[in-house]
Amino acid sequence: MTYSPHAQKFDAVVVGGGPAGLSCSCELARKGLKVAVLERGRSPGSKNLFGGRVYSGPLERVYGNLRKEAPIERWVKHERMSLVADDGALSIGYDSSGSTSFTAYLSKLVAWMSSKAESQGAVMVTDVRVDGVVMEEGRAVGVVAGGDRIDAGVVVVAEGANRLLCEGMKVTPKLSPGQVALGVREVLKLGSEKINERFGTGGDEGMAWFFLGKPSEYLPGGAFLYTNSSTVSIGLVLYLDEGLQVPSDHVYDILERFKTSPTLKKLLAGGSLVEYGSHLIPEGGPEMMPKRVFGDGYVIVGDAAGLVLNLGYTVRGVDFAVHSGYLAAQAIADAHSSGGFTSQNLAAYGDKLNGSFVVKEMRRHNAIRKLMRKKRVFDAYPRTLVDAARQLYEFDEASPKLIEAGRRSTKGRLSILGMLSDLLLLGRGP
Amino acid sequence: MTSQPVSQHSSSVGTTRMEDALNADVWDVDEKPHIEVDTGRCAECKTRPCIKVCPANTFVLLGGKVLHSYEGCLECGTCRVICPMAAITWNYPLSGRGVQYRF
Repeated sequence: MTYSPHAQKFDAVVVGGGPAGLSCSCELARKGLKVAVLERGRSPGSKNLFGGRVYSGPLERVYGNLRKEAPIERWVKHERMSLVADDGALSIGYDSSGSTSFTAYLSKLVAWMSSKAESQGAVMVTDVRVDGVVMEEGRAVGVVAGGDRIDAGVVVVAEGANRLLCEGMKVTPKLSPGQVALGVREVLKLGSEKINERFGTGGDEGMAWFFLGKPSEYLPGGAFLYTNSSTVSIGLVLYLDEGLQVPSDHVYDILERFKTSPTLKKLLAGGSLVEYGSHLIPEGGPEMMPKRVFGDGYVIVGDAAGLVLNLGYTVRGVDFAVHSGYLAAQAIADAHSSGGFTSQNLAAYGDKLNGSFVVKEMRRHNAIRKLMRKKRVFDAYPRTLVDAARQLYEFDEASPKLIEAGRRSTKGRLSILGMLSDLLLLGRGP
Repeated sequence: MTSQPVSQHSSSVGTTRMEDALNADVWDVDEKPHIEVDTGRCAECKTRPCIKVCPANTFVLLGGKVLHSYEGCLECGTCRVICPMAAITWNYPLSGRGVQYRF
């Protein structure tokens, strides 16, 4: 793409053409501001990776034609959750005729979002890695990329989970292992017929499946599977602080073992690997958000602001990112028409974000996040429940009472006090 | 556009070797490394979590030393965050180079 950075000054320079940066750009361009998106990838989407599911509502607010136009793979109408131990798995399922989420390839979804921003007039510049945000007297005035300085009225920091720019600006401390999880994912091609046969889905129905316990070698984290039209996205999530204190196998081996486990081997038989990738996931909750998501001349959106919620049975990230970009665009447009991109004017973004479902959801469910830092949730709990199920289902003559199965399976694994404290933790919070 | 990542890892667990998994990806490898390691600090590290946790096996143990490459890097940034010695200087590759995700 030919582009001279000095040709014009942009009202907004958006660093990072992912879900947050692109929804922000789309809204800003729609409102008539001059916007440039600086993307490090060769094409929009080429550096994006996620598990596989998007909640559509927040995206439809920005993209009215999402359902018709976006590269949606399948609408998730089948949810599965499995607790897996060495010798068995206990699963629950939820099947519905309705759906509020779809599976997608993030690279393709982001490419589509990019085309939408461009059609509104945003300038997309690819192959550009931004090296820093230029600060003058505490105010962001532009960015530096490859020695070139690009001036901007406001800088939208949408750099993703590795917040190198935020760290450079000293608005966030260096990422610590406890704030992130490692996600590794494979895309396996199976063909849509095989997928529908094996997963019991029809037409465009998708499945989202979460696994706790053995798939992550009983370490905090878990595994996931999403069905796309003709492929499945399958992967592993490991919380870094916990996973790494313990010497374990290589993360790739853990994923391979999961793929070849009794639960999955037959479902995935004959699948050919078309992509292997990894990405960091912000898992630090509200505590990980920058103290202020705005300042003189800048706002911080999406993963860079730590806006992800992992509930254990589902994960939200793309919808949070898109909504934060949308809210930032509103505040930026208002600041533009009311005299400038001052911290005071951009504070409206912080207020909107705090008042939105994004931060409210993260705060509301923060207890789950704390629970998911406890090793027993991924170790003793799945082992106990699978053991209890084994006692209830496998017997010779006498079958145990529920209470007996419970008592025997918890013995030596879980204390009543520990379980009570976990329950109490779940009940706490706003 | 493909690279052969430097890797001594061999997986006996599953059916796909990591080298094959990485070769399923599309690459445009940079000539300049985007990962730098302070080998002095690295030598003093007792835990060396990078070896187990880099999903691309970019860090390998050879003769008691951690050797690193950058060609097969999946650009997740885990090594930078996890390194207990803060020995890793990491940034994204320049000019759109590196892994090209399609899905």
